[in-house]
Amino acid sequence: MPMLDRVARSLLLTEIVSGMALTLGQFFKPKATINYPHERSPLSARFKGEHALRRYPNGEERCIACKLCEAICPAQAITIEAEPRDDGSRRTTRYDIDMTKCIYCGMCEEACPVDAIVEGPNLEFATETREELLYDKAKLLANGDRWEAMLAARLELDAPYR
Amino acid sequence: MAKVTVDGIEVEVPNGATVLQACEAAGKEIPRFCYHERLSVAGNCRMCLVEVEKAPKPVASCAYPVADGMVVKTDSPVVRNARRGVMEFLLINHPLDCPICDQGGECDLQDQSVSYGMDKSRYREAKRSVKDKNIGPLIKTIMTRCIQCTRCVRFSAEVAGTSEMGGTNRGENLEIGTYVEKALTSELSGNLIDICPVGALTSRPYAFVSRPWELRKTDGIDVQDATGTNIRIDSRGPEVLRILPRINEEVNEEWMADRGRFSFDGLKRKRLDRPWLRVDGKLKPVSWPEALGAVAAKLKATPPDRIGAVAGDLVDAESAFALKALMAGLGSANLDCRQDGAAIDASRPDFYRFNTTIAGIEEADALLIIGSNPRTEAPVINARIRKRWSAGRFPIGVVGPAGVDLTYGYDHVGEGPATLRSMLAGTHRFMAVLRDAKKPMILVGRGALARPDGAAVLAAAWAIAQSCNALRDDWHGFNLLHLFGGQVAPLAMGFLPGQGGKDLGAMLSGGVDALWLLGADGIDPAAIAPGTFVIYQGHHGDRAASRADVILPGVAYTEKDGTYLNTEGRAQRSRMALHGPGEAREDWRIIRATAQGLGVSMGFDDLGQLRAAMTAAVPALAEGFTRAFCTDTTGPAGDAQALGDAPFVSAITQYHLADAIARASDVMAECARTYGPAPALAAE
Amino acid sequence: MEAFLATPVGILALTVAQAMALLVPLLIGVAYLTWAERKILGAMQMRKGPNVVGPFGLLQPFADALKMLMKETIIPSGASRALFLMAPMITFMLAMLAWAVIPVNDGWAIADINVGILYLFAISSLGVYGIIIAGWASNSKYAFLGALRSAAQMVSYEVSMGFVIVTVLLCVGSLNLTEIVRAQSTVWFIIPLFPMFVIMFISALAETNRAPFDLPEGESELVAGFFVEYSSMSFALFFLGEYANMILMSALITILFLGGWLPPMAMEPFTWIPGPVWFILKICFCLFVFVWVRATFPRYRYDQLMRLGWKVFLPFSLVWLIITAAALKIFGWLPAVG
Repeated sequence: MPMLDRVARSLLLTEIVSGMALTLGQFFKPKATINYPHERSPLSARFKGEHALRRYPNGEERCIACKLCEAICPAQAITIEAEPRDDGSRRTTRYDIDMTKCIYCGMCEEACPVDAIVEGPNLEFATETREELLYDKAKLLANGDRWEAMLAARLELDAPYR
Repeated sequence: MAKVTVDGIEVEVPNGATVLQACEAAGKEIPRFCYHERLSVAGNCRMCLVEVEKAPKPVASCAYPVADGMVVKTDSPVVRNARRGVMEFLLINHPLDCPICDQGGECDLQDQSVSYGMDKSRYREAKRSVKDKNIGPLIKTIMTRCIQCTRCVRFSAEVAGTSEMGGTNRGENLEIGTYVEKALTSELSGNLIDICPVGALTSRPYAFVSRPWELRKTDGIDVQDATGTNIRIDSRGPEVLRILPRINEEVNEEWMADRGRFSFDGLKRKRLDRPWLRVDGKLKPVSWPEALGAVAAKLKATPPDRIGAVAGDLVDAESAFALKALMAGLGSANLDCRQDGAAIDASRPDFYRFNTTIAGIEEADALLIIGSNPRTEAPVINARIRKRWSAGRFPIGVVGPAGVDLTYGYDHVGEGPATLRSMLAGTHRFMAVLRDAKKPMILVGRGALARPDGAAVLAAAWAIAQSCNALRDDWHGFNLLHLFGGQVAPLAMGFLPGQGGKDLGAMLSGGVDALWLLGADGIDPAAIAPGTFVIYQGHHGDRAASRADVILPGVAYTEKDGTYLNTEGRAQRSRMALHGPGEAREDWRIIRATAQGLGVSMGFDDLGQLRAAMTAAVPALAEGFTRAFCTDTTGPAGDAQALGDAPFVSAITQYHLADAIARASDVMAECARTYGPAPALAAE
Repeated sequence: MEAFLATPVGILALTVAQAMALLVPLLIGVAYLTWAERKILGAMQMRKGPNVVGPFGLLQPFADALKMLMKETIIPSGASRALFLMAPMITFMLAMLAWAVIPVNDGWAIADINVGILYLFAISSLGVYGIIIAGWASNSKYAFLGALRSAAQMVSYEVSMGFVIVTVLLCVGSLNLTEIVRAQSTVWFIIPLFPMFVIMFISALAETNRAPFDLPEGESELVAGFFVEYSSMSFALFFLGEYANMILMSALITILFLGGWLPPMAMEPFTWIPGPVWFILKICFCLFVFVWVRATFPRYRYDQLMRLGWKVFLPFSLVWLIITAAALKIFGWLPAVG
């Protein structure tokens, strides 16, 4: 009997028909594609995009040169040099991220005790030359200034889960 | 001996040992903050609580003596709970500023809080904050972080002997400081940074510079004094970021002098990083082949007896040996390593060594210091003397300037050679003290020999040692205290005028046409006779370099593998922590390359062969040390009766500017400004 | 006008006009078939397909054509130049030639010959030469293997396809395509001969090298099969030829089984719609199924392909041929032969 069953199924093309029914079903379903540059899919508050160094509302940079991000970075993409600033506070004199090394794991963000280095929502930072991807402190601070409103909102959204 | 059971392990410890020592003997780690092996017991942090059977509550193990049959538990719930509680109390007023704290990553409080503390805080009230103190250019204070373990107070009182630190107020208002704001005057102040278990006392030059995990650690030897302090050179990339002491009970215990610790920034300034050649009266940068070619041309054209070489104070044994071999190859016997002109008799090692040994100081029971200020010349050895003095029954006599604070009490027996004369005659009162002592020590400063009557002082000191029975086959009480780490090795290998050779004075005053200065920067350029072709090989553009006709850039002690003999004659090896700047090369290689240009066969091509040749020729330069006693009481050359009359002065007038590296250092310059030109000679 | 059309020049002009009238819409159809395929595949994979060039991406085929034209024609150094260039032309020409006998409506065929079905069969068999030549002339192992596979595959499935056609011919009694359609005026052959229709459709997939039988161009093994070395216009010709063949096969299936230009039922309102529209709609349906199959099934393994052709379809179609012949004989339904 199983043999007969198998032959009957094979001759009646049941599997082929059910397969084709499936694809036909998909044909009429709504499409997942979005029209990217014009439409965008929603980004999670935890999306790990381009890095930024944030400032306090009074304009003081947050980074205190603790070097925890440098230490935890699994790709060793971060380079920091520090010395006391004129007012005696601990500040970086150099904060470089090699975006070509970075694996966007977000560990720097996790390690940062003052929410200074964050990975922002920006995912469109392709450049024409490799050198442009070697970010320095000025670039990172500029990113922070540019995205601050969104960065703050994201951190607030994520705060209850931290 | 007492039998103690620690966590089921039975150990035997001496009576009077503490429970903490018993636990360590059993291999158990006891957390602690205030307890330090080399300081007195304070028992105020309570972190070392352990449970002792039949005791009603946990006891502070650091201050609790053992009793026979004691049963100790170090990991019971009671102990863990107690530690957690202590930790919580300590953290009440400790700020959570680890990210900006330089101690972060090597902090006892941080580590122990992870190991023994709670994972969260219950403290919601306001924290105490304390005003920072300014205690000098070397140590940065963030007193809010202080947990009042009083290690620094005990260190400055007991080891440094300056008693400058202390607590004011009581209870929550207790503050550690210097009472009246002042800079610490101790030459050992850097050790406060090491013993501070938190980030309250940190290094000012190292502030915010780096994290411990970024540093490459290299074992080295400090050459900036003759103690031979074992150091760890912490570097990152092409620069030294800090220098820390390593523990060596025989030499420096775990202390280190400030000049060696803080002057490394001088390694980045005023360096010779390329060869220079004097053309038409002006120094011009040239390439190595040009510079070596000029040297070879000059040395070839000069008769061997008109060529001379002087080794400096910071040179490694390898370089000096290589230069000596080159001079021998050229046929010159004009060698000298005594830039200061000290009348050292190198015919026997015990004439120029610290024969008692540094650890041996603790066995001595009387000390006579002649023409030396050990506090500025060798602060770590001075701390040993103070340690012995603190233990009691240790009369110390000093022949030298009056009113010098050596951090311990001493009998100022005289200022000049006249005192020695009366001692030799046996009429001096201190002679009786020395004669009564079983193990008397005579410590002669190198400064006392760098005088016209130096040989007589040496002979007189030896004679005094002999007359108080300090030269025996079980005790050697004659000691010469050198000033720098590179002074003893050349003496040991005989970097001295050979048969018919000229000494330093003769060489400088026109005795030679070509003079090779190997790191000899202590020479006054004006003293060199005009017309002498000066080859300066060294790492700093210091005094002598300006007079040079050829400058061959060598490297400093952090940048080469080198052997150094300390004042005891202990051979220790230092490792290369980083490469020299620019085109600077290891010194022995420069000499080897010159020899090649001259067609002189040296017999070695690499460091291994050089060391093999060196240790074969001079066994004392082989790594290691054995203490030698006196087997021959024949004194050094010199007539003890030829003593002059000038009073003794210390060889080091400005502690912070004593060598070329320190003179190039900003930190040391700052210290020199802070602490004045010389230790104050105020009358006591 | 009538007189002019009777002259040789007139006949030529008329034929050219007829050919253009057929080929121009055909080529446009080919162009949009590529667009439709991408749209349908996209939809079945929850994507959108081309939608940027023109409204709904309608100008995409022209953009593609333009792109193809702009590209450089690369002739591999070891290739046989003449054959290499000839192969795509052969493929394309044959795909166009076959259309001469296709009746779009009753009597609307450029050449309404009595051996229409044989002609068609012959032309489609010739198609294999284009592929073999392309594969050989490329002097590339991938192209060569692809061509071998393709030839073997086409030859294999032509056998069973032949039997399917013979079955239809038994029922019609004519080789003329117009006659075949007319014979379905009562009932389309898809109903009595449904199994044959299925075999015909599947064989058509194999004949046109379509998924799941696209082994000649199996990307994972042969990079792109026989046209791996082709670029620019020569590639475009292969491409056009292949899609024209798909339309041709759909037309053949429509004629053999779906009643050609005939409406589903000879009654209003179906009869309001003219025959060519019905014909095109049926072709479109077939093409849709072509793409649908591609979107659904993974590629066959080569031995499975051969097994299916020789050990399943051949005996099955042979048996069904005999059954059909027997049934016709027994029930006396044999058509009168003209």
